Amino acid sequence: MKKLIVGLLVVVTLIATGSALTAQETVTLEFAQWWEPELPAGEFRALMDEFEAQNPGITVELISGPYSTTRDQIVAGAATGTMADVVGLDGAWVSDFVRQGSIANLTELMAEAGYDDSELAAQIQIDGSTYMIPVVNFVYPVFVNLDLLEAAGVESLPSTRSEFAAAASALTDPDNNVYGWVLPLSMEQPNGIQNDVMSWVWASGGSMLKDGRPYLVGNEDVISAVEFIKSLYDEGVIARGAFSLREQDKVEEFTNGRVGMMISSLAHINLIRERNPELNFAITALPAADDYDGPRGLPYASWGIGIAENSEHKAEAWKLVEFLLSADVNSRLASIANAFPGNVNSTPDFVQTDELFAAAFDVFQAGYLANEFTGLPVAEQLMREFNEPFQLYLDDEMSLEEFLATAEEAWNEHFE
Amino acid sequence: MSKQPENYVLAKALTIVGLVLGALFAGLPVLWMLASSFKSNTQIFAYPPRLIDESFSFGPYIAVLTDPEKVRFFFNSYLVSALVTVFTLIVGILAGYSFSRYDFRFKKTLNLIIIGVQSVPPITLMIPYFGLIVVLGLYNTYWALILTYMVFTLPYAIIMMTGYFNTLPRELDEAVMIDGGTSFTILWRVLVPISLPGIVSVGVYTFMLAWNEFLFALTLTRTTDMRTVPIGIQLLMGQHSFEWNQMMAMSVLGSLPVLLLFLLFQRYFIAGMSAGSIKG
Amino acid sequence: MGNARVSKALIKPQKATRGRRTRQLIPYIYLSPTILLLIVLSFIPIATVFYYSLMDNVIITNTPPSFVGLDNYREILSNRHFHQALSNTLIFSVASVIAHLILGLAFAMLLNTRFLGPTAKAFFRVIYILPWVFTASIIAILWRLLLNPNGVVNYLLIGMGFASTEIEWLGSRQLALPAVTFINIWAGYPFYMVSFLAGLQGISADLYEAGKIDGANDFQLFRFITLPQLKPIIVSLAMLDFIWTTHQFTLIWMTTGGGPVRATEMLSTFTYKLAFTSYQFSQASATAMIILAITTFVAVFYVRNQRLANE
Repeated sequence: MKKLIVGLLVVVTLIATGSALTAQETVTLEFAQWWEPELPAGEFRALMDEFEAQNPGITVELISGPYSTTRDQIVAGAATGTMADVVGLDGAWVSDFVRQGSIANLTELMAEAGYDDSELAAQIQIDGSTYMIPVVNFVYPVFVNLDLLEAAGVESLPSTRSEFAAAASALTDPDNNVYGWVLPLSMEQPNGIQNDVMSWVWASGGSMLKDGRPYLVGNEDVISAVEFIKSLYDEGVIARGAFSLREQDKVEEFTNGRVGMMISSLAHINLIRERNPELNFAITALPAADDYDGPRGLPYASWGIGIAENSEHKAEAWKLVEFLLSADVNSRLASIANAFPGNVNSTPDFVQTDELFAAAFDVFQAGYLANEFTGLPVAEQLMREFNEPFQLYLDDEMSLEEFLATAEEAWNEHFE
Repeated sequence: MSKQPENYVLAKALTIVGLVLGALFAGLPVLWMLASSFKSNTQIFAYPPRLIDESFSFGPYIAVLTDPEKVRFFFNSYLVSALVTVFTLIVGILAGYSFSRYDFRFKKTLNLIIIGVQSVPPITLMIPYFGLIVVLGLYNTYWALILTYMVFTLPYAIIMMTGYFNTLPRELDEAVMIDGGTSFTILWRVLVPISLPGIVSVGVYTFMLAWNEFLFALTLTRTTDMRTVPIGIQLLMGQHSFEWNQMMAMSVLGSLPVLLLFLLFQRYFIAGMSAGSIKG
Repeated sequence: MGNARVSKALIKPQKATRGRRTRQLIPYIYLSPTILLLIVLSFIPIATVFYYSLMDNVIITNTPPSFVGLDNYREILSNRHFHQALSNTLIFSVASVIAHLILGLAFAMLLNTRFLGPTAKAFFRVIYILPWVFTASIIAILWRLLLNPNGVVNYLLIGMGFASTEIEWLGSRQLALPAVTFINIWAGYPFYMVSFLAGLQGISADLYEAGKIDGANDFQLFRFITLPQLKPIIVSLAMLDFIWTTHQFTLIWMTTGGGPVRATEMLSTFTYKLAFTSYQFSQASATAMIILAITTFVAVFYVRNQRLANE
């Protein structure tokens, strides 16, 4: 009898100590991102709960902030040592954060965890090491308003630049406040340079860099692209107010049927459907230069993920990253975000069920992801430094040569 | 004497016309905000624009009011703004009293410093300030916001209270001192009650500043349960989706209690009418 | 003046009984919370910013900061974008302050009128304070909506025949600065109005009585009694508003982002871009110090003025 009691006591003590030990091992990861508010309510938290269930001892605290201030908050957080363990990142910020020393080297973490990275569709690298991995990608194809197209008598979706110009011309009807194309050139978020201007260069297989350095002056691809846009501008087929138009405004103009064609993010497909169910629209690839028939670069923005350099739980943080990039979870995340997956083995379900997304997927697979601004230093500032002389050029206040020279000179200062 | 009624009528007519024009200037944009809060997001950008259209619905308001996160934003904003107002008034009145009634060695320097400290653009101040708040252990607390806003509002509060106290004659002070009162009695029993208009204007200003501030509220709070209304509005502007009507609805909802408070306190702007007559 | 001497004489006996030391400390005691707060939460960050302005490689790099003395200042002062930002800011601020003064005073007078009862006045006061109740982001969003080429302002202008085609208010290099200044005027006048409303109450009714007995009309009463009595407040408000308007960031950033082509570039947007998109915190700090120097100059002018007014 005594032995039994002692035995029980020992067992109980062991269990108690054991659970006390595991209780002390609970790690709380902070995940700062802007994704939660953009996904259907509660869905992202549900994914986190799933992760927690699979990884007892780790809890995830979601810290959500407005997208427009995320970068500034990460900088401030890194400077004051309050940065979250895991952070959502945009490709344009990576180079500068690496320079700040605020994000961790993921190649090393992957090696430590013994992770096979062949599943990853892309990795953003600086000096050969990965610092950010795109979790889901939002590609930017061309949206076309089919009703306006039909009313203007245009038979097919434009595939070359001349067809695009012709369609834009036919669609433009200033008296009825309808324009062929919309170009957002706001200085506040100058993504227009990336998505709506440079995309023309990439769609024709061109590049704005040479050996990793700015190449604008004398760059035939860039010259033909900006001259093309200028011709559209001069002809008056671009919607008014371009110089202060932002991406959101562009989408609203299209949704209200005042613009025939726009380059925009896949994420807006459902937004447009929700806002204006009557709108009949299609997805097509960015037109290429008339004599080009190679694969077309497709601009994209991604929800990337990185780990804070001064995080005390890097190994656990990597587990979360791995979870989000695993084939099944990535498919589901891509589905609810209406984006393309970051895992090559994932297929979001909407690709089978939805015609428009299927079309976008075809465009995606026929071309390649192209965003040369990702990984460049001070990417947003580069866009702005291009935007300023570009606006003057469009307004005939600067010649083409002067514009490209000014932009290239400003860019070169960051490439020391 | 016969001229008086004509002048009176003309003056009254002009005043009313002026008031109405001014009200249109102030109110029409806000009316548009109100109208937009009832529209669907697409209709907000429709052309030709209409004040009310077929998409009229209370949806945005319901969406805001049934979201506990958003309701919490309102609560945080009101709490912080109210506390900041009370504290700033107390500290500002004390400081204004000393500047108005006393001469002391560092008076001019302190005056200059109080004005000068707000001359640094807040954006550049943000990171060092943030670091300081973290070191003080105040990160993600109401106190971080309260103390921060006090720093912003004190200069105006002090200048205004000093100026207001300066218009009150010293005979009032003397009367109290003859009766054996201390400096504090003078302040509390005599000067403050007469200075209600000045106090109300400082209070209104402080409340508005705290209520509308965005940058430091964003930086000094971390978790959703500590965020304020301006951040809540920005959260509705995502990377891909933007809920314009809910933004407008949040603004309108948030402003209603503030306007009510103002309505309550604005009659104190007439309180000072008695100030002049005491002199006689 | 005589009163002051009399009151000082009356105060003297107090000095002897209370003790000199304590008496001298009293104002400092009243000022202690202010001083404490400002030293901890203002001086230290400002000193840090000053420190940053003398260094290089601050905050955003792995390499440790290095002392560069006045280099950052030289770079900023010779930067033509800084000059443009400075000139835009001056135009923006001066125009805003003047318009705020005029509107604020006019509205305060209107809202203080004897021609209406308290209920009517209360109603109008609430309407006039509306622009103040909203945060800068929503004001920016609202006005972007109103001034959209396809927005309601253009719609009304074209409908009433004042314009023939949609005006690009915020997208045109010529109109952007005036447009943004107008928005700022609209958003900021309530501050003046409320301060003047309070100030108007502080003017003794006796003065008006005396004026009327002397046969002055409303306009003369305003010019010779109201204005001079309000002068200290006017000067204070002008100075404070000038300083605050110079710092105005969110409104401009969210309406135009400093564009098109820097037409609305202000010192605040210039500094923000230096700090957060070019990651040049040291240069941004130098800019902040330059702004501090300019506004301190204005403040010194104000304090001097105050001293003269009190004598």
